[in-house]
Amino acid sequence: MTPLEHYPVVDLGPIMKGMAIGGLGIFHVFLAQFAIGGGMLLCYLQWLHMRGRCRLARRFIDDYFKVLVLVSFVLGAVTGVAMWFTSIQVSPRTIGVMVREFHWVWATEWSFFCLEVVAGYLFFRFGPRLPDASRLQLLGLYSFASWMSLFWINGILSWQLTPGGWIESRDVWQGFFNPGFLPSLLFRTICSAAIASLAACVLINLVPGFTRRERESLVAICGRPLVLMLAMPLVGAWYFGSMPADSRGWVTGGSVPMTMFLTMAVGASALIGLYAIFGILRKQLYVNAATAGLLLSLAFVATAGGEFVREGVRKPFTIREYLYSNSVARDGIAELRQRGVTADDPYPLRDEAAYPSEQLVLGGKVFRAQCSVCHTLGGVNSVIELTGSWSLEQKRLNIAQLQQTKPFMPPFAGTPEELEALVQLIGWIDAGRPDAWEESSDPAVLAEIRRWIDEAGTRPGHASLAAATGDRRR
Amino acid sequence: MNAVFPTGFPPATAFYLVLLVATLLLHMVFMHYVLAGSAYLAVGRLMGRQWCRRCGWQRLLVDWLPFATGLAITAGVAPLLFVQILYQREFYSANLLLSHRWMAILPVLIVAFYLLYLQKSAWIGRRGWGWQIAVAATAFAGFAFIAWSWTENHLLSLDEAAWPTLYASGDLRYATAGLVARLAVWFLAAFPTLAIELAWQGRLLGIPLSGPAAAGETVAGLSPLRRLAMTALAGLVGMAAAAAVYWPTLPAESREAIAGPLGRPWLVAAAAGVAVQVICWLIAASRDRLPSGLATLATAGWLATLAGLVVLREAIRLATVDLDTLAELHAEAAGIGGLPVFLIFAGLNAAAIVWCIRMVARRAVTPEPGSRSGS
Ligand code: HEC
Ligand code: HEM
Repeated sequence: MTPLEHYPVVDLGPIMKGMAIGGLGIFHVFLAQFAIGGGMLLCYLQWLHMRGRCRLARRFIDDYFKVLVLVSFVLGAVTGVAMWFTSIQVSPRTIGVMVREFHWVWATEWSFFCLEVVAGYLFFRFGPRLPDASRLQLLGLYSFASWMSLFWINGILSWQLTPGGWIESRDVWQGFFNPGFLPSLLFRTICSAAIASLAACVLINLVPGFTRRERESLVAICGRPLVLMLAMPLVGAWYFGSMPADSRGWVTGGSVPMTMFLTMAVGASALIGLYAIFGILRKQLYVNAATAGLLLSLAFVATAGGEFVREGVRKPFTIREYLYSNSVARDGIAELRQRGVTADDPYPLRDEAAYPSEQLVLGGKVFRAQCSVCHTLGGVNSVIELTGSWSLEQKRLNIAQLQQTKPFMPPFAGTPEELEALVQLIGWIDAGRPDAWEESSDPAVLAEIRRWIDEAGTRPGHASLAAATGDRRR
Repeated sequence: MNAVFPTGFPPATAFYLVLLVATLLLHMVFMHYVLAGSAYLAVGRLMGRQWCRRCGWQRLLVDWLPFATGLAITAGVAPLLFVQILYQREFYSANLLLSHRWMAILPVLIVAFYLLYLQKSAWIGRRGWGWQIAVAATAFAGFAFIAWSWTENHLLSLDEAAWPTLYASGDLRYATAGLVARLAVWFLAAFPTLAIELAWQGRLLGIPLSGPAAAGETVAGLSPLRRLAMTALAGLVGMAAAAAVYWPTLPAESREAIAGPLGRPWLVAAAAGVAVQVICWLIAASRDRLPSGLATLATAGWLATLAGLVVLREAIRLATVDLDTLAELHAEAAGIGGLPVFLIFAGLNAAAIVWCIRMVARRAVTPEPGSRSGS
């Protein structure tokens, strides 16, 4: 694997790239889970109906399914494609490796997606005119297919954080059935069931033609899958335990935003769970449209928190122990420190004329290649601000030993000249981008930077932390 | 490049090429229905309420376009996967260079998709005719924009020399000589596809195509069948003209690939397919009848044309990329496991799909309005 592949890096201005994929991911995951859980719930309702235990089910199923089709077939499918496209925009190399390693898994998922679309549309169109047994068969196929697409994609996504034996063997199935596979599959299945239940409660209140009594009985039935939320703490803990220790560290205080997102996810889920268990299931409270809407919004908040955590805890990798977030190969650091990270970059800077010197242009390219995936130069998580109080010397040292400055950053992967250029760029921008800026090429400085870089080693921060003797200079 | 496609390439490359071509063909089958169908609908709405009320094709399209769009998207995912195996760097670079402009196809697709559902709704039935026109025209504009974007992205992916300058300029558009002509080829090729598909759909749903049974469906003096024939013939002639305009804009290597051993048999197949379709539609139009034999022959011609086009499209690309570097990557990808699992599940799922359709065809009660079999 080459140390780095050069792509025309997209500049989202003040916005961090992770935010783009995280933001879209929330919508997509929420919709997909709604569709998966919805299929299972409808199967259950149809089954109850056939055993004579829910008279209203057939009618409600047809109403619910219309919404499911309108929402999930359009928004779900297109946001799914959108996830792919956004991943390309944010980190082409990451998605490229995922596609290469798992293309047959993806192709398999696609075959289930086809079944889901056909079975779903047939039910949508002909369901009301089919006998009960056929309806159940069609719904069963539909929900099985949609759950199976979760099954396949879940293996690929959990592999990113816990690639397990794949790192050694490069075996696709070792990667697929990785340590995070089962807990995250279970966890997402429970989330799906819960979201679909809550969406059903909203819908029961919105579709016309049911009496209050009928609504009550439907809410009581559709709320039943919420009981699965009882297992959430346990499955969640299992999932959590499968994560690498340093990732766990980020979300338990190591990184403030990550900890906040996790708290948000856990808090929102706990509120839903408590209301569901005590209110809906034990006390048989009726859930009106406002309450159901509120609960569903909480589920959205929980999904949002969860997705940001999932994107965040992989740092400094996008594929654990294989590819860093900035698309530098884990094993390519040493080579780039010799050859330079910008040596083969065919792309000029967009605003090259605005830079007073070659060195600053170089700095701009170094930033673009190594830092821009997580930082900006003046927006969210701006390196200018983060280094604002540092002396020149501190900037050089802390960037040279980036993985020790914060272990969720990758090691610096360039030459001392490149590092110095980056430091000069930061200073220049901090000084308000003056028209002239002196070139810095003191051999003593470069030699010192080289020594610091060598000292930091090429291993990721968590590994060198574990191996450190406790002497961590700042 | 000295043997007919897909032979003459390293096995891994040939294997993924076949998969790309086959799945892209499937994408085209549904995408053409959507692209040409939404255009047909928009033109129909412009012609007025009377026109649309008499035209069974308009009703059919309103009814089926949303599902066809779902299928076009679903079928698009598979070639999207194989493009990323075959030409990863090229495809990603073009995506990144076009950036927001490229990503815009997704919200546009969502809007166009919902407009198709809106067109089916009772809500729009209660609105003035102006709404019908606006909704149909906007949906079509959306799909046209998406088609344009795919063509633009594709051409940019082949023009590596242009990448750094385009990047530096910050411009999110790539205008090149062949763009409009190439887009016109795809757009116009969509109409013969639509005609064939509507003809079969009409037969399956028992819609009379011609004769006294279709007397109430005559629009502008043309029976439903003759309207299809006109649509197909106009598309075929237009497509051939657009291809002639596109040809000189191609790089010399690409023209060689098309006219040489790699592409020639496919070029012949495509041209023969066009000829067969033209003859079939002329016969059908003059007799105002489309017996099964003739329909089957036209369909065979159509398939030959479409397969030829999709292969020639690949020949153009293969002539411009660095095949040696790519072949290594393809071999690496082919060494990765999972194919047997895919084949097993693809087989099972295909069987399940067929089973569903047959089950519904057998079991659904009360036939749909205007249909014979209820499926
Ligand atoms: C994987 C994503 C990622 C990459 C790549 C990355 N950083 Fe960071 N960096 C972070 C995060 C997250 C923080 C923490 C921000 C905070 O605490 O608010 C951070 C913090 C910093 C800080 C402040 C450290 C402190 O102790 O306060 C500096 C300086 C910095 N990064 C510079 C860089 C430079 C220079 C590069 C490129 C060579 C880089 N980073 C690459 C994610 C990254
Ligand atoms: C319904 C709206 C769509 C329209 C009108 C459309 C149209 C087109 C056209 C015209 C091309 C040919 C481009 C060329 O060769 O110049 C094309 C290619 C392609 N389309 Fe679609 N498309 C649509 C949706 C999609 C979606 C949603 C996907 C993905 C899921 C997709 C995947 C592809 C792929 C992979 C190619 C081949 C690209 C290449 O080889 O470079 N399409 N499409």
